[in-house]
Amino acid sequence: MNKITEKQSGARIWQIAKAVMFAFMGVRKKSDLEHDAATLTPAQVIIGGIVGAIIFVLSIMLVVRLVVS
Amino acid sequence: MAAVHGDAHGHDDHHPSGIMRWVTTTNHKDIGTMYLWFSFTMFLIGGFLAMGIRAELYQPGIQILQPELFNQFTTLHGLIMVFGAIMPAFVGFANWQVPLMIGAPDMAFARMNNWSFWLLPVAGTLLVSSFFVPGGAAAGGWTFYPPLSTQGGLGVDLMIFAVHILGASSIMGSINIITTILNMRAPGMTLMKMPMFVWTWLITAYLLVLVMPVLAGVVTMLLTDRHFGTSFFNAAGGGDPVMFQHIFWFFGHPEVYIMILPAFGIVSEIIPTFARKPLFGYSSMVYATASIAILSCVVWAHHMFTAGMPTVGQLFFMYATMLIAVPTGVKVFNWTATMWRGSMTFETPMLFAIGFIFLFVIGGFSGVICAIVPIDIQVQDTYYVIAHFHYVLVSGALFSLFAGVYYWLPKWTGNMYNETLGKWHFWLSMFFFNLTFFVQHFLGLAGMPRRIPDYNLQFADFNMVSSIGAFGFGLTQLLFLYIVISCIRSGEKSPEKPWDGATTLEWTHLPCPAPYHSFEKPPIVK
Repeated sequence: MNKITEKQSGARIWQIAKAVMFAFMGVRKKSDLEHDAATLTPAQVIIGGIVGAIIFVLSIMLVVRLVVS
Repeated sequence: MAAVHGDAHGHDDHHPSGIMRWVTTTNHKDIGTMYLWFSFTMFLIGGFLAMGIRAELYQPGIQILQPELFNQFTTLHGLIMVFGAIMPAFVGFANWQVPLMIGAPDMAFARMNNWSFWLLPVAGTLLVSSFFVPGGAAAGGWTFYPPLSTQGGLGVDLMIFAVHILGASSIMGSINIITTILNMRAPGMTLMKMPMFVWTWLITAYLLVLVMPVLAGVVTMLLTDRHFGTSFFNAAGGGDPVMFQHIFWFFGHPEVYIMILPAFGIVSEIIPTFARKPLFGYSSMVYATASIAILSCVVWAHHMFTAGMPTVGQLFFMYATMLIAVPTGVKVFNWTATMWRGSMTFETPMLFAIGFIFLFVIGGFSGVICAIVPIDIQVQDTYYVIAHFHYVLVSGALFSLFAGVYYWLPKWTGNMYNETLGKWHFWLSMFFFNLTFFVQHFLGLAGMPRRIPDYNLQFADFNMVSSIGAFGFGLTQLLFLYIVISCIRSGEKSPEKPWDGATTLEWTHLPCPAPYHSFEKPPIVK
């Protein structure tokens, strides 16, 4: 039971991450969008977006560190 | 909700007439109209200041404006255009169009809506009257950097007070828009069925709520530095003037997107209507708008590359700024793809929308050029930057406003504008705008600094060309005023649906003009 739940939540997190990554690029396939709209809540997407923004900032900082090192 | 609808009946007969109708109104259409007229008035005042600037710069030497007054003109031109013209104009559009496009009877907080508007003339009066106080108006540029702004006279205090009031108005307006969109959509209108204009305003409103308090904070710190002995921005007292720039631009860069996202929304309504095709990549547009809003909060220091910043900081903000071009590029691609193989016609709204795309791309590209640190260090505070942001804000924001006015005038007034004059307005604006601002790229690359009343002889020719363009552009806007007034007073009666490609609720469910109380019973969206 627990294993299934963990699997499901892992899949959900991946789905949120994918939605946010495509959002940052600004494109999304219609079928995927409809799937997102049916299964994800706005709160999940907003939290995902904020986490995505933090990862975005950290990854640019990492690139900058690599460039100047 | 039923009670609200019930109460709305018969209000047409009982609302006050004359001036009190406008003072006491809580109707979103009345308030939208007032926002639009207010912003146009401020546009004319800001335009008058621009004419003064360009008249002085027509030739080298000091002819008309003494340097102190010239600085006041540039400062107030920027403040009035940003806070008094462009922003209230978009709020005016939101007031008129958001309830009509989502099938709501009015804005959520109708009385607060009235208050949001009536704060504006107070702030506008403060800004304009600051010219007449001892020492004159603020003269440190629209970004009011210290130490100039901590040393200025009474005019700076009036400006600070005006910015506080405008900020309060914007925050209230935004809360109203967010609440209306999230709670008052017609049954069946899910978030992903909302028109793009509504989406862009929802995201813009969140941005406003996020950054307006930052602006209020920084002007309050300025005020306490000026009058209450603090030293936030005074190095001699342990403060840091560069900190002002960081806080200001943390507001200032999202502010750029606050002025352009609703423009994207208007263009995204007009292009599909006149291409007679649905918007290409609707969901991509929504996603791109959201990501632009998030990214706009992490790029602010690209305005400060020469202010003193470690290389690591310069690289971070350079990379982040260049990446924000990606979702913006997606939008331009989508508009172009919408027009691709569409049954296009070129009425005035479409002309302005296409003009917007064409010129906004130029402004966007010069923005990417400015984002590159080594180039920015060369062009910082030159006319190149002036050219860049006028391509974004005039041929971007302002052209979209013109497009929106022509598009929705039949819905607002019940009358058609004069199409021939509208096209004249577009082509003259297009010609004179480019005459004014394209040459400023050359001036900037040649090294002409901004905010100076006099210049070296090598800049003379392009400045003369730019000034002639500016006078032409200014006069052309009087033609716009004539077109709008003649449409209201004596325009031909509009057909029920003047744009056959329009699909949003205000065109499919309401007559022209929209009745004073609309959608008392919400439409069902399928």
